[in-house]
Amino acid sequence: MRKGILEYCVLLIISRGEIYASDIIGELKSARLLVVEGTLYPLLTRLKNNGLLSYNWVESTSGPPRKYYVLTPEGKAILSQLDGTWQELVYAIENSKNKS
Amino acid sequence: MKKTLHINIGNSIILIEEDAYEMLTTYLIEVKQYFAKNADDLEIVTDIENRIAEMFGEMLVQQQKKVISIADVQSVIKQMGSVKDFESSEEENGGEYKKDNLPFSSVKKLYRDTDQAMIAGVCSGLAHYLDFDIRWIRLTALFTVLIGGAGILAYIILWIMIPRAETKTEKMYMKGQETNLRGFANIHLEPLMEQSKGFLAEFFDVIGNFATGTGKAIFKVIAIGIIAASSFFLISLFIAMIALLGIWDADVANYFPFSIVNDEYFTPLTVSAFVVGAIPLLALILFSARVAFSKREVNKTLSFVLLIVWLAGMAPLIIYITKISSEFKEGAEFSQVTELKPYTTYTLTVDRTRFFSKQDSMSYSIDAENYRGKKILTDIDDEFKAPRDTRLWLEKSENGKISLTENFRSRGRNFETALKNAQNIHYDFLQTDSVINFNPMVQLEKNVRWRGQEVELTLKIPVGTTVIISEEFRRYMSGNIYWDCEHEDRKGFYELLMTDDGIKCKYEATGRKSE
Repeated sequence: MRKGILEYCVLLIISRGEIYASDIIGELKSARLLVVEGTLYPLLTRLKNNGLLSYNWVESTSGPPRKYYVLTPEGKAILSQLDGTWQELVYAIENSKNKS
Repeated sequence: MKKTLHINIGNSIILIEEDAYEMLTTYLIEVKQYFAKNADDLEIVTDIENRIAEMFGEMLVQQQKKVISIADVQSVIKQMGSVKDFESSEEENGGEYKKDNLPFSSVKKLYRDTDQAMIAGVCSGLAHYLDFDIRWIRLTALFTVLIGGAGILAYIILWIMIPRAETKTEKMYMKGQETNLRGFANIHLEPLMEQSKGFLAEFFDVIGNFATGTGKAIFKVIAIGIIAASSFFLISLFIAMIALLGIWDADVANYFPFSIVNDEYFTPLTVSAFVVGAIPLLALILFSARVAFSKREVNKTLSFVLLIVWLAGMAPLIIYITKISSEFKEGAEFSQVTELKPYTTYTLTVDRTRFFSKQDSMSYSIDAENYRGKKILTDIDDEFKAPRDTRLWLEKSENGKISLTENFRSRGRNFETALKNAQNIHYDFLQTDSVINFNPMVQLEKNVRWRGQEVELTLKIPVGTTVIISEEFRRYMSGNIYWDCEHEDRKGFYELLMTDDGIKCKYEATGRKSE
């Protein structure tokens, strides 16, 4: 059931602008979608390899340079598709709930 | 105080405590293993490492310290998540990265286990890898060595090929322990391995360790064998002492060589001989016990006491032996001539049955009334009772008379005691017609000590007298007699003839005449 939702949320977070992985995690944690950081990295890598994301290396004040993720045009297209799918889902669920 | 290491993680140089390092290494190996199936494993792991490096950097700044401790690593792992966390979140998300082979936690790698090594840990490593009892692996290895020695070559090849389990992580893989943090905790308290060495250096190390490892085991077996043998001898010695002291009436005191020892010396001599014999055995047992059971060294006081007791036993032993030897210093002898009834042929024989005289029966504590005239078989087959002490010489009689000279000899402290000892000899022979029955040995009165008493008999016979010797006589007597002069008719008898040139075999002397 939750499959796909995590990816959708990650895309949503990144769509707001260039963002660092640990900031993504912060948001996911507060949304109770993720507990540990380790699971995010394979997800990000997979999305990137599917061409939905890309990243830029940004120098950090402390420690090594960081990867800042952004959506590719393809990622944006997928995200708007997903938005549509999500609206359909919400409509379906709301509809079912209200009729009962 | 803790050992710290410099590590390079995510292109940052971090100073980290050794135990924290071990934990971190374990964690990263776990993570690498977990993502190994993923096509992007390198990138994922690099991301994670970079993030960890960043977290460390933040920690050092925030806590204003220079070294990463184990608590820091634990908090980082908590934040990053353990492999179990990855697994559980994957299950929720469809299990994309789940490996389809064996569950990760039981992955094993082949390492040499030098902690349990007999030689270089090849067998113990194989035992871990194959999950076999190490004893069977070793037995098999020993077997292959024994049949043609192929095992030796195989062992050396495996030794060179299989890496040694050096880090705790490698040991965990070797044992197939769950390579998560719980598994890590199991061996966390184990001492750290020494630095890695080359094969040759390790080879010589192993040779050295062999003496303290397997070699020690062999020494232990030998030591236990020595303990068993020494204990056996010690007990035998003790029983012998008890027997000699007459606690059991074994009557050994009358047998050679104990018959040498004077009665008054007997008890102290026996005890001191026991001490002299027993102390080295005891010391041997103590020393072997130390080797066999790795006990601490024998107490110095104890070994000193043992030495003193041994010397204390040695002193009387030497004194008594000297005293007893001095009783062999002087010799004395006297002769007694008995004329024999004349016959032209004499038969000499030894009868192992003999008539006890009253004196004999008294000296042997036999009730004379009950034994008078009865034949008693004496036990002269016992070689230990005394050395051979009777001899007989055949000589030509110049005056035509037939006589038997008994020459009694003995030794003593001085001439008087030697003569007295000689006079204490009881020797008897019995002439029945032409048959002379000899006692094969000297009789000593009870309580008379052996001082080399012996009897030399000289039978003087005129020329032309025939002497027939029985097989028994030949067995028990010695002298100048030609023992190979077999009788022509009687088997087991020997026939001699006194000629002008002395004693000769009868068939030699008369052979030509009878032909």
